[in-house]
Amino acid sequence: MTLKSDPAVEIEDSSSPAVVAPSVPVPGAPSDLELMLAIQAEDPEALSQLYDRYNGILKALILRVIHNETEADDLLQEIFMEIWNQAKNFSAQKGKPLGWMVTLARRRAIDGLRKKQAYARAEERLQSETEQQPEAWVNNATQEEIAFGDTRVLVREVISRLPPAQQEAVDLAFFRGLSQREIAAHTNTPLGTVKPRLELGLKKIYDGLKELKDEL
Amino acid sequence: MSFEEFQNDARLYVIGALEQEETEEFENARKEFGQKGEEYIGECYALHEAFALSLRPAKASADIKSRLMAMVQERKKS
Repeated sequence: MTLKSDPAVEIEDSSSPAVVAPSVPVPGAPSDLELMLAIQAEDPEALSQLYDRYNGILKALILRVIHNETEADDLLQEIFMEIWNQAKNFSAQKGKPLGWMVTLARRRAIDGLRKKQAYARAEERLQSETEQQPEAWVNNATQEEIAFGDTRVLVREVISRLPPAQQEAVDLAFFRGLSQREIAAHTNTPLGTVKPRLELGLKKIYDGLKELKDEL
Repeated sequence: MSFEEFQNDARLYVIGALEQEETEEFENARKEFGQKGEEYIGECYALHEAFALSLRPAKASADIKSRLMAMVQERKKS
């Protein structure tokens, strides 16, 4: 299979030098599924293109979990290596390539966090980062992103509409891998309150995504 | 467990937020709902993608990709 190049475009953004442009495949570029099939056939160029397309998203996800730039880079490399090694386990019937990669990256990031027993350190860093800047996932969209017309802007909208308590519960469950009991302890909330918050928050996000899907 | 309860739990299940005893109950219900249940769980994994997309992409160190591709080439040779 010959694959057209699909380089990720980097934006010069003086306010945030570590931000890259949303990864949207250029017209005529291979789809994610085509790239996965090519990776299954052991084509390194396909992995190279998939990396260009999604390294920014996966790095952001890893960073959100482990809050350490160098460790996030190392883990990103390991995750793409795992994508290469595990590509044969991907099945299009079970979901989209990005979903599969995110699931894999999240699991590895949370495992890494647990292995290093870095909860306390990460918590401190998270605390100071929260004081210095707003939560990444409730940021307003930049003009570049709006102009890009990316669905991520809409996804952020859906999430940012959640009440803060639901947002926090979902955030701790997804990005920190905390159980309901751990969330209850972390937020000083009765255990019986945590599950409804998670249920409601996730339902709203899920329903919002369905609406988006119908609109697109 | 009704299908609505199953749907609620499925969304928690895919992000690993069910407690152990809830997971056991969910797995039993999963068997009962069969294909319909599996399809719903599959749909719920879209949440993972959504959470990742909600983040502002971060820039990886420039040499990560070259190291990765070198490892891939090495793996292909062996």
